[in-house]
Amino acid sequence: MPASSLKKNNVRQAGSGTTSIVFSHGFGCDQNMWRFVAPAFEKDFKTILFDHVGAGGSDLSAYDSAKYASLDGYADDVVDMGRELGWRDAIFVGHSVSAMIGVLASQRAPGLFSKLVLVGPSPRYIDDEGYFGGFTSQQIEELLEGLADNHMGWSAAMAPAIMGNPDRPELGAELTVSFCRTDPEIARQFARATFMSDNRADLPKVVADTLILQCADDIIASERVGEYVHEHISGSRIVYLIASGHCPNLSAPDEVVRAIRSFV
Amino acid sequence: MKSSGPSVPLSDAGEPNASAEDLEDLYENAPCGYFSLSSEGLIVKVNQTFCRWTGFSKDQLVGRRLRDLLTVGGRIFYETHFAPLLRMQGFFNEVALDVMTAAGEKLPVLANASERRAPNGDLLFTRVTIFPAAERRRYERELADARAAADARNRDLTERWVAEREQGELREQFIAVLGHDLRNPLAAIDAGVRLVLREQPGERIATVARLIQGSTLRMSGLINNLLDFARGRLGGGMAVNLDASKPLEPTLRQAIDEIRAVVPERLLEMHLDIDVPVAVDHARIAQMFSNLLGNAIIHGNPVEPVRIDVTTRAGQLTVSVANSGPPISPAAMDTLFQPFYRGEGKASKQGLGLGLYIASEIAKAHGGRIDVISDVGETRFTFVMPIDV
Repeated sequence: MPASSLKKNNVRQAGSGTTSIVFSHGFGCDQNMWRFVAPAFEKDFKTILFDHVGAGGSDLSAYDSAKYASLDGYADDVVDMGRELGWRDAIFVGHSVSAMIGVLASQRAPGLFSKLVLVGPSPRYIDDEGYFGGFTSQQIEELLEGLADNHMGWSAAMAPAIMGNPDRPELGAELTVSFCRTDPEIARQFARATFMSDNRADLPKVVADTLILQCADDIIASERVGEYVHEHISGSRIVYLIASGHCPNLSAPDEVVRAIRSFV
Repeated sequence: MKSSGPSVPLSDAGEPNASAEDLEDLYENAPCGYFSLSSEGLIVKVNQTFCRWTGFSKDQLVGRRLRDLLTVGGRIFYETHFAPLLRMQGFFNEVALDVMTAAGEKLPVLANASERRAPNGDLLFTRVTIFPAAERRRYERELADARAAADARNRDLTERWVAEREQGELREQFIAVLGHDLRNPLAAIDAGVRLVLREQPGERIATVARLIQGSTLRMSGLINNLLDFARGRLGGGMAVNLDASKPLEPTLRQAIDEIRAVVPERLLEMHLDIDVPVAVDHARIAQMFSNLLGNAIIHGNPVEPVRIDVTTRAGQLTVSVANSGPPISPAAMDTLFQPFYRGEGKASKQGLGLGLYIASEIAKAHGGRIDVISDVGETRFTFVMPIDV
């Protein structure tokens, strides 16, 4: 196996411990999403952070629109990293769309992950008969068109120039490069892969111990969706966070750390 | 745009003070929208300007979240991009959002936001400033559209270019193979005819053999012209291999002899007066000369001589070939040297129409040119090139 995924996925390893804990970011930003969470595990675990191809410091030249047209391409990358770094019975912590990427990766390579932590998971964002996803297909089309229309992605790429923030010295210089910047075309394709996905059939196949972290008032993955995931992964646990919104790893890192700690 | 609505005084204190800036009025009627979010993200305070632009009352806005004011697509984008960004760096600037007004219309805006935190780091509230940006957004979209259109055009052109290059390569291969396949049997025919002539055949057989020889010579010339043209060498100018050490006269005489062998009955008047060495590509000059000579034989009056004059005078090499016969029409003069030009003679006499084109390309490659004069007296093609001493 060539040492390519380390560079391709901008893998950062830290901590000491025999068990690896892998943090996987969702649609929108990059591994910095975990910067207030991951350090809490460095004492007892080997922590692994990475960027999905197309995001953050990943190798953009490795972006292949056919491969990444569905979540399978991203799951394959996780498996590749795991093989390269020799993960055994590791812990996978996936936020947002990465929750399903972890579900797929764990099935692809049995023994790779023994525990899954799904933060704000959704197996399908679009409502279906007998299923509440939170969005109509028309609304998702509107999102995708909005991205295709380019101005959101364009503005995201151009406008929020991230500058050093003197009030927040803990934000290192590397953050000044690209936290939420994405190539608009890649953002559009990742949005399509994410919001058109349907992984409901994969949930019952999960054999790893699973913890679901459900935020209050999360418009992207609502409680009903989290409960659906909980019901369809046998033996899973669900923890309702006090934190609201879709990114508790940023807004309430301490609560997220406590919940993961009590599980692992 | 909704920014041009009448200013509504809101302060309970009544009309704004005309002489001193009233801070409350500045907040309420500032030329931008203001609102503040609690640490839970709920709107707790909003100014009148923002209410006016969106058509909501303060009561309708207080208690809602910023994302509630956005389109569904915008909400997802806000939650996945801008909310984390705000959390991470404490502010964002120039974020493009579409706010849904009370009337259900999209109001394109730019938003800045900054967090206000307590000394212990706890989030107190977040301030948001809103500027309408319909014009700017339209301009950005036009830019993006123009770029997408340019990209599409580029892709299209690239595809076409690749297809054409592939087709060109195929054509060249085809012509090269064809040329090779045509030349070999032609060489065999030519060798056979020479053998027949060497055997001293009767006059009838000799005549037929010479006709065959003429045809093979002409055909070989056509193949050479065709190959030159197809190889695309002519597009970027023809490469020549100039050689002054070799005398020019034998090169020209050989070309004349080849023609003479084929049409022994035709009269050729020659004046060759070469007294300085000339740097030419001998094979190319022979090809050009044969083309001119062949034309003169084909189109000239058969009972009149073809006149050949070669001089090296006044620093110039001049090779002229003249024949009698009907003049070239003025209309034809313009296109004479174009590829695939075909004369007005009998179809059977015509080649591919490449002879003069290639002759003129050879002339150009030598820094010279071919001129033509044609009237009822004679038609004369004259090649002139400078002699570098």
